[in-house]
Order: sequence, then structure tokens, then C-alpha cells
Amino acid sequence: MENNIPHESAAKHVSGEAVYVDDILVNDQLLVGRVVYSSHAHAKVKSFDLSQAKKVPGVHMVMCFQDIPGHNQMGPVVKDEICLAIDEVTFVGQAIFLIAAETEEQCINAERLIKVEYEPFEAILTLEKAIEKNLLLGPPSTIKRGDVDSALKKAPHTLRGELRTGAQEHWYLESQVCLCIPGEGREINVYSSTQHPSETQALIAELLGIGKHEVIVEVRRMGGAFGGKETQANHTACWTALLCWATKRPVKIRLFRDDDMKITGKRHRFLSKYEVGFDDEGKLLTAKFELNSDGGAAVDLSFAIMQRAMLHADNAYYIPDFSVMGRVFKTNLPSNTAFRGFGGPQGMAVIETVIDRVARYLKKDPAEIRVKNFYGLESNNVTHYGETIENNRLFMIYEQLITSSEYHNRRRSVNEFNASNEFFKKGLAITPVKFGISFTTSFLNQAGALVIIYKDGSILVNHGGTEMGQGLHTKIQQVAAAELGVSLDRVKVNATNTSKVPNTSATAASAGADLNGMAVKNAIDILKSRIAETMAHIFSEQYHDDPTFRDSIVFENDSIIDSKHPNRRVSFTEAIPLLHLHQVPLSATGFYKTPNIGWDKQKGFGKPFHYYAFGMAVTEVLLDILTGHHTIVRTDILHDVGDSLNEGIDIGQVEGGYIQGVGWCTTEEIKWDDKGNLMTHSPDTYKIPSVQDIPRDFRTALLRGVPNPDTIRKSKAVAEPPLMLALSCWLAIKDAISAVANHQFEPEFSLPATNEVILLSIEKLKKNMEERITLDFVVQR
Amino acid sequence: MQTSITFVLDDKLQTIDCASSGWITPTTTALNYLRGLPTHKGVKEGCAEGDCGACTVVLGELGNDRTIRYKSVDACLVLLPMLHGKQVITVENLRTDRGELHPVQDAMVETNGSQCGYCTPGFIMSMFSLYKNRDHPSRAEIEDALTGNLCRCTGYKPIVEAAAKSCVHRGLDHFSEREPHVVELLESISKESIHLRTSNQLYMKPASVQEAITLKHQHADAIIVCGATDVALRITKKHELLEKIIDVSDLSELKTIAESEAGVSIGAGASLSDIMPVAEKNFPALYSMLTVFGSQQIRNLASLGGNLGTASPIGDMLPVLIAYHARVTLESLDGRREIPINTFITGYRKTLRRSDELITAIVIPNLNGGIVVRSYKISKRKDLDISTVNGSFRLELDGNQEVKAIMLVYGGMAERVKQAETCERFLLGKRWVRKTIENAMPLMEKDFSPISDARAGTEMRTVAAKNLLMKFWGETTGALIDNQLLSM
Ligand SMILES: Cc1cc2nc3c(=O)[nH]c(=O)nc-3n(C[C@H](O)[C@H](O)[C@H](O)COP(=O)(O)OP(=O)(O)OC[C@H]3O[C@@H](n4cnc5c(N)ncnc54)[C@H](O)[C@@H]3O)c2cc1C
Ligand code: FES
Ligand code: FES
Repeated sequence: MENNIPHESAAKHVSGEAVYVDDILVNDQLLVGRVVYSSHAHAKVKSFDLSQAKKVPGVHMVMCFQDIPGHNQMGPVVKDEICLAIDEVTFVGQAIFLIAAETEEQCINAERLIKVEYEPFEAILTLEKAIEKNLLLGPPSTIKRGDVDSALKKAPHTLRGELRTGAQEHWYLESQVCLCIPGEGREINVYSSTQHPSETQALIAELLGIGKHEVIVEVRRMGGAFGGKETQANHTACWTALLCWATKRPVKIRLFRDDDMKITGKRHRFLSKYEVGFDDEGKLLTAKFELNSDGGAAVDLSFAIMQRAMLHADNAYYIPDFSVMGRVFKTNLPSNTAFRGFGGPQGMAVIETVIDRVARYLKKDPAEIRVKNFYGLESNNVTHYGETIENNRLFMIYEQLITSSEYHNRRRSVNEFNASNEFFKKGLAITPVKFGISFTTSFLNQAGALVIIYKDGSILVNHGGTEMGQGLHTKIQQVAAAELGVSLDRVKVNATNTSKVPNTSATAASAGADLNGMAVKNAIDILKSRIAETMAHIFSEQYHDDPTFRDSIVFENDSIIDSKHPNRRVSFTEAIPLLHLHQVPLSATGFYKTPNIGWDKQKGFGKPFHYYAFGMAVTEVLLDILTGHHTIVRTDILHDVGDSLNEGIDIGQVEGGYIQGVGWCTTEEIKWDDKGNLMTHSPDTYKIPSVQDIPRDFRTALLRGVPNPDTIRKSKAVAEPPLMLALSCWLAIKDAISAVANHQFEPEFSLPATNEVILLSIEKLKKNMEERITLDFVVQR
Repeated sequence: MQTSITFVLDDKLQTIDCASSGWITPTTTALNYLRGLPTHKGVKEGCAEGDCGACTVVLGELGNDRTIRYKSVDACLVLLPMLHGKQVITVENLRTDRGELHPVQDAMVETNGSQCGYCTPGFIMSMFSLYKNRDHPSRAEIEDALTGNLCRCTGYKPIVEAAAKSCVHRGLDHFSEREPHVVELLESISKESIHLRTSNQLYMKPASVQEAITLKHQHADAIIVCGATDVALRITKKHELLEKIIDVSDLSELKTIAESEAGVSIGAGASLSDIMPVAEKNFPALYSMLTVFGSQQIRNLASLGGNLGTASPIGDMLPVLIAYHARVTLESLDGRREIPINTFITGYRKTLRRSDELITAIVIPNLNGGIVVRSYKISKRKDLDISTVNGSFRLELDGNQEVKAIMLVYGGMAERVKQAETCERFLLGKRWVRKTIENAMPLMEKDFSPISDARAGTEMRTVAAKNLLMKFWGETTGALIDNQLLSM
């Protein structure tokens, strides 16, 4: 297969020719839509008056909940998200009214004239408060093996603590956007920047009270998504569809950046508690985790996310007696949602903190503790939820990376540096990632495709996955071309469209290429078998004594060939019209479902994952302890993608994921005020990494010679796992802070490690040292 | 006087008359104008506040030598009349007539520099500007050129590689070939003053400083606009209708940088980018502040006059200019006056400037030997971020290593830029040794009680302010390891 090809849209990206929803040319009937949202975190809507707003010239429509023709709902799993508020608002940013006008300015003028009378209620704005009041969004769950409490009692050493990990804003460059164009009758065409076109279609149909067959959702590409458009693109799409339905005109809503940040959910913040038992060597014997997440005002995907956090609280480590409890709490903030990693990062941050603490407690290098606790190859290889880890790559990666990164030498030079510098400290950390691939809601692991060969021999591939920059369409194009033995330029991957491939799952869980690649292959296998059958006939017409059998037909070099008689061959371009004359159907649908997985949510036991992706990173930082500013001096990554479908794209996913994770771990801080308003609602105050924040020396490699059994072309999913490699950056910063007190004290630490967290942690350490000195002095006397 | 504006787009003169154009007003941003055309949708909006660079375009400005200077800017911050007399280049213009990609585009394809592609046109334009201005740029130069562009997908490494790979042809490309033609077009555009009047707005673009102060006299309520990097946000984010504007962005008299033995006089309208060379030479602490000021796109627009004009308590120029004992020149029909910059700011976003006055220059005296000035900025993200706390310090020691004079000027610690007076008094006459600094640090709590906000809390700000004093001491005495380490 042609491997190292650029993204199929690269030339369009660099020339500005790639069309995103906001770029689609529409006639001058287009109206601008706007959503008017709650300014209170929790309040009763006592009354409102839209009459003045409706009078603004150019305004075509001002709508409220009463104007919804169908079901006032846009909850993806649990139906607890009202599309337009009725009499109560539960977070700042909740939609109440919609406006459509000829210009944005008219919309804004109309919005200013809307009068709403609220009666504020108490708002729950912190996780602590929600925990205190036990405001659960649903029942808690536990995954458990062994008897943790007695194991803790027996353990030679125990540690306990608490870890806070922060929310994260997706900050896709293209904010939420949707364009709806009315068709005839009740038809509506929806161009949405959504990761889940089928769900967008379903919610619009229910909202408008029409059949799904009246709604077509199309996605050419998204300008980034990262999970933020898995369920929450639906909102903008629903609002746009309502306005389109009501005005019978094309309508577009593109959320202004600040509105997008205020309205949409984020990565869940977690408050986690842990207790661990370990032996003198640092081998973990038992652990008891309690994970608490802030779900926000509605369920969204919170329980699936909590589940994945619980399933990744072990990360790469075998813990004999282990229990993880997870609870999702309700607050008066926008409902939190999917974000690359989907709970995995929050779960892993806890166990990585534990390992780091154990190492400091035992005065050992954390790397040593990590490798000691890795899941074994033959034994100690069953997770706390009962899945056996096959094809464990942890040791292979560890050994290669420890050597290639010169970890041990650098540990020594870091120590030397720290011994001779007071105001600058260096830190070094290696962290592993083991990430389970599959939707944990097992039935979602299915995909469809429709492959069409036109009479000119050109091929159009439709599949259920969406392109958000991850290179899915490129990989699909490669797979299709390789399977049909044709050149890449013959294959085009179509915009994702619900009328071509129906009832799809979201493009999520990193499984886009795994699932859709297989579905496309399945469709192509069907086509190939039909073609082979007829071609065998055609070839045999001239050779009755030595006929061609269908099994010997191969597809190579843009030709169809009898492999037993290589002179019997016909070019693909010539073959297709011939096959058409022979009445061979030249399009086929394909389907795939992941085999051999099954997971009992209630028992917390089973095989939720088809396989695991592995990776590791070593990060070294330099910390200015007077300003709290850090520089990533060097990062080495070794990541496992099986047999890569496209190395350029996979490395891009690894590096991009790492940097996005670095953002979550360092500068990206979400803050709300005491009224529930998002304070960090624009890039002015919300800081994702810039070009100057990347490692000064950045070395990424893919693990070689490790084909993955039973997946498309022996590849592995990539998208999510590399994000968690950034925990090495976070812990390297902690290592540098810890050096301030010569690793004698456990530093106070949370995530993100902003310069504020860093400076205050250092202050605390200095106090600890002063107290210890005074104490020693007193004792001596 | 003209009542329309003219610029070059797609190699043709474009004339826009706001009074008759329908959807275009004098305060329409270049971004909204370009995206309003069917042919320039490649210019993207990511934030409409200058922080993401998705809207980056390059402006070609006619130099004195009949060549064109290429500058990257954020189109979301540029008001349409600011384009008058300039060439606007967008990502759509980069392919050759034969459809070949520009070297910077080719390199981005090759290095896998785009994933979702939404940031890509902006990066391409920043890279194009770099291509035209630097041959074989260093990594630091590349990063500086790309700091104003955010990418959420790639992790930047392939983008940096693409810049290194492509900016190696001494800036030659099809734009070089067509430059003479564009120069002719630009020269044909009238330099007369402009008045754009619509039913609810008056936008004035005077042709001289004299005209500007006359207009300001007549229209005391008019808002002055220079780089618009502050003013534009009132339009894009607050949706304010700015009724009267006096645009001084094109006044060459306000852009002069005059060096004399006593010091340097910097025109209030000179862009920060244009100031950087003289700052690097004469005022290193000012230069170091400029290197972490916004991004190249911002510095290509923003002016010193505008920075003082905002009177922001977290503005980066004021503390360092105070430490340099700079003076501000104000001009009105009543004449010219020069005031010491430390008295210029009188309160939260309040200054001594009368409503009929224009800031015309900032004069910075050269330092006498023996005096040290240093500046520091602490922000959540090192680059393209607003200061959480900044500090600019001036120190003069006597022969006994005792403090003869000291200024500790802080931003972000109070409702306006403020000196740590208690600390300063304490330090005066003391030996410049670590113990003195350690004793001075707690006094910072007497000088300031900073706020908590989106950027940081009170405690962090206080710790940071103290630490900066220690850092200053360390740097002046060599007790710190070289700061170079940080720019590795
Ligand atoms: C993305 C971004 C990043 C930024 N980063 C920084 C930063 O790192 N540090 C920092 O300090 N600031 C920063 N700023 C703020 C802003 O860029 C600066 O304050 C800039 O110097 C303003 O200059 P300007 O010419 O663009 O001002 P304008 O927006 O044109 O004007 C600003 C104010 O000054 C007045 N004014 C302008 N010129 C004159 C004059 N000649 N006489 C009298 N009044 C005048 C205007 O009326 C207005 O009130 C940033 C802004 C943005 C959008
Ligand atoms: S749109 Fe973000 S900088 Fe202009
Ligand atoms: S490629 Fe997606 S934001 Fe840069």
C-alpha cells in the first residue's frame, strides 16, 4: 500500500480552497441565526417579552420553546437536555430563544430588546459543593478485584491523597457551526460540523416531528473537533434547523468564539481520592480509588466517560487488589462532554500520581517503580475488570525508549544541574500509556460503507466516519485503493452523508479507521467477488479447455488479472464498462462489527476492548522557580500504531495529541466566577500551547515490526492515546519543583500545573524546609 | 478630500464607497469584508480578537525606495479604511497563474503541516511574510513569525519544519515579478485625506498631524485609532457602534524614529515592529518586553501611542518606559507639551491627556553608564499573552555597592501601573546583597494588594512580585545562571 502520502485535502488546506460549513456559498436568501442564552446559572424564568425584538427591521423570526413543532429535546443518550428552556434555566449559556435576521447586527439589536425576568435559585458551581450535597447525576459504580480493605491493612506501606484535574476547552479552530437549507415539503438539508451525523439527523427529526428520511446531514470536514462535536454539535444543528423550519429560508448559525466557549461543555474536571498499599520495593499491592467528576447540568456522555476513567485507572500497572469507584455529580454549569481520551487522562493521572509518590516516599527513581509494576507478559496480565492483556508492548517500548532517550544519563545530569542551581531546576519523567480501543458501549462498535464504481472506472467511497483532521479519509482512500489494486487518484472519499450510509456511530473512541476501514473493505470484497465471477467467465470464453477460475482473479496495478494465466488481464478502466454490459452491480454496501468483545457494565467485568494501544514518553523540563515558567527541553516518544496505515498522519496524531495533552497539563485553566460565568471565555485568557511551547528537541518514533492481529491492514488506532503521554511533562514539572526541597517533601500539586500552581507549591516547600530547619534546631538543643 | 477608499486586491484596484456599498461600513473589519466576498473564504475567523491568527493576511506597503514591504496582520483587527493605499494579499493569491503552489504551501503539504486545515491559511500567510522578509531564518525567527497562529491539531513541529524548508529563496516568487506593476497601482492611489460618512458614522483619515489635531479639536468626542489592536475589539467583541473615528495609522510624521545623543524620539504611530531594531540597540529592557509583546501580527499593527492610550494597568510598555524615565509628547492646537511618563497615568485607564490632544511621540533618554534597567513579564503562557504581573526595574549603585537610586515599577499589581514605594525606600542606601533583597521582599505586601482574576490569584501575584525583585538582583549580580538557558 502507498503509505507516505499527504492528507488527501492538504493542497486544499494550504490554498484556502478547502470548504468548511461557513464557507459554503449560499444565495442571498441566507439568514443569520443567533442563540440567546441564560445569564443565570440557576433560575426560574418568570416571564419574557419578545415583542420589541420581533419588530427590529430585518428580523424574520424570534422563537421560544412554544414554537417547537416536535419534541423539545436534544439529549444524546438520556433525554435531559431541553432544546429551548421552558421555565427554568440550569446553567449560564443555556439556550432560551432563537433569532433569525438578515444580518448579525440585526440579530444583536433584537437580542438587546428581549426582556426576561428571572428569579435566581441557589447554584451549585463547585464539585466540592455537589459532593457535599450528594447531588449525583446517576448511580455510582464500582469496578473491583480482591479485598482492598484487608490488603491495605496488611501492606507494609500506605499512602493516601487527593488529586484535582482540571477541565479543558476543546478549542477546535472552527467553532460550532451549522447551515440548514430547506428542501421541498418537509425536507431539510443540514450541513453541520458534527462528529455524529446520524445523531444530529435523529435529533433534528424528533425536534421537528418529522421522519429521519426527511433529514439529510452532510459533513465534508470539520475544522477540528476532539470530542467537542460528538454530542454538542447537535445543539447548534438543532437550533439552526428550527430557524430554518420556521422561516423556510436557509439559515446559518456559527457560534462566536466566546459564545462557543461559554455554551459548550468541556473535559470533565475530577476530584479523585486514593489510598495505596505497596512493599519496600515499590510493588503495588493494592489501591482504592474514588473518582468524582463534574458532569455539569445534564448527563451527556458523562457516564461513559467516567467508565473509561475507571477502566484506565490502572494505566499500565498490575494491581492485585484494586477497587475503583466512580461518581458523576450535577452542577449548574454547561454539561461536560467527550474530549480526546474520554476520561482516560483523568483516570491515568491518579495512578501516575500514586507511582510518583511511592517513588518519592521510597527515594527511588519513578522509572524503576513504573517498570516494576507493569502488567506482565505471561502472568499478572489481567486487568481489574477481567480483560487479559494480549500483545503487551510495554517492556519492548520501555527498553527501547529508556535507551534511545538516554534516560539514565540524563537523570544524572538533571541531578547535577539541580545541585548547582538554586533558581532554575530541571525535572525528568517517563510515563506509559495503555489505552483500550473500542466503544465501551459494545453495540456501537459497528460501521457501514457504500462503495460505488462508476462506468468510467472512478470510485466513490462513502463511509460513516467523519473527517476532522485526523486523516481518516486519507486512510480510507489508501485502504480502498490498495484493496482494489488501483491508483489513489481513482478513489475519492465522499463527504459523510446520512443518506448514503445510515445509522452510524459517532466518529470517536479513536476507532474511525478500524471500524470504517473494515466496512469499506467488506464492501470492496463483495464487489471484487462479483467482478471476479464475471471476469472469470469473460476470460474463459476464449479458453474453454483451460478456464479461469474466480479464485485466481487478482486486482493489481489498475488491472484485473488471472494470476494463473497472467496474460489474461484487462485494465480496470476497460473492465468496468464491460462488467456493466454484463449487468454486474457496481456498487455495494459493506458492514463491520468488532468481533469478540463484550462488557457487563453492571458487574464491571468482561472484555470491553478489542485491543490496547501502547506508548511511552520521556519529557525533560527546565523550570524557572522565580517565575514558575517552564520550558520543555526535550521529549522522546515511542508509540505503537501496529503497522501504520500512514506514517506521516500517525506521527502527526502522536505529536499533536501530546501537545494538546501538554496544554491540559500546563497552561489551560478553566475558571468560573461565583455566579457561574466562565471567566476564561476567550483565547485572551484561555491559553492553549503556542509554537514556542513545544519541546526544544522533539523526537517521535513509531514502534516497528509489531503488526496488530485482526484489524484493518494490521494497524492500530491512534487519535486519543498519545494525549496521555503528556503526563510525562506534568510529572517532570513536579520533579523539578520537588528538587527545590531536594525531594525531601511531597510537593503540593494539581493539574494543570500553571505557573500559579508551581509558584505556590514552591512557596509551600520553602516553608516546609524552614519548619524542618527550625524543628531540627529545637531537637538539637 | 476623498469619500472612498482604494486598495489593491487580486492585483487590481478596489475602490469602496461605504455610503453606497450596502453591507460595508467604515468599521467593517478586513476579515468580514474578505469573507463577505465569494472569492476569499480561505481567510478564516477563529476568535475575532487577534489571538489565533486564522485570519492572517499580508499587507504590502509601498516603501520609499519603490519596493513593497510585506507584513502579516490579523485581518480581524484591521478596519477597512486602514487598507487604503495598501496591497492586500490573501491565501488565495499564493498559487501562480498556472496553478502551482507557492514554496511555503508546497512545504506545508510535504511536512504534513495541516490536519484539520482550519488554521492553515493563517499559517501560510505568516510563513509567506517570513518568506518575503528573511532568508534561511533561524528557529527563533520562525517561531517568532508563527507565534500569532494557533494550531490545535499538529503540535506545530511540521509547521516549523515547513518554514525552515521553504524560506530559502531570498524571497523570490511570482510576487517579486509582479511587484513593479503593483507599485504603479499603489502610486496611483491618492494620499489626500479621507472622510467616510454614513447615516450613523464618520470616519476621518487626516493626511497630516496638523489636520489630525485640528480634527481632534473640532471633534473632541472622536476616537483616535492607530493600530486598532485595542479599539477593534470594541467592534468585534462588544458590538459597539463607534460613531466618530480619527484614524492616524498612516501618518508618516507619527512614525519617525529620531536618534540623538540624548536619546531616541519615537513617533507615537510607529509600529512596535519598527521600534524593535532601535530598542534592541539602545534599550534592551524595552526590547526584551517587545519580544514577548503579542505576536508579530499584533506588533506589525500596534503602536506605542496606542499602548499608552489604553492606559491599561497590565500594558507592557508603561512600566519599562517609566523605568527608562521616558517622556510623552502631547500635541493640540494649543501647542506641544512634554510630560514625564510616570505622571502621565492618573488612575484606572485615566491619563493626563486632554480630549483635544494627540500623543505624538515618546522620548527615551539614553542611560548613563552604571544605571541598569531590566524588565520581566510573567504570564500564563510565555508568548502572546497579557501580563499577569510585569516588572521593570532601574538601579544605580554607588562605589560601595550601595543603592543610590532605585525604581521598582509593576504592572498587574494595582488598578494602575505602580511603584513599590515602601520597598524602594527600604532599599535606598542599603548594600545590594542577597540579605537586603530578602528583607525587602516581604515589604511588597505593604505596597500592593493585588486582585484575583482569570489570570491568577492575589497570592500568586504577590509571590511573583517578590520573586521578580530576587530575579533582578540575581541578574545584576550574576548570581543567577544565564537567562539564555530559558531561550534554548
Ligand atoms: C492579541 C493581542 C495581544 C496583545 N498583547 C499585548 C501585550 O503583550 N502587551 C500589551 O501591553 N498589550 C497587548 N495588547 C494590547 C494592544 O495591542 C496594545 O495596547 C497596543 O499597543 C495598542 O496600540 P494600537 O496602536 O493598536 O492602539 P489602538 O487600538 O489604535 O488605540 C488604543 C487606544 O489608544 C488611543 N490612541 C491610539 N493612538 C493614540 C495617539 N497617537 N494619541 C492619543 N491616543 C491614542 C486610542 O484612542 C485608543 O483608546 C494586545 C492586544 C491584542 C489584540
Ligand atoms: S480571527 Fe483570530 S486572530 Fe483574527
Ligand atoms: S490543523 Fe487543525 S488547527 Fe491546525
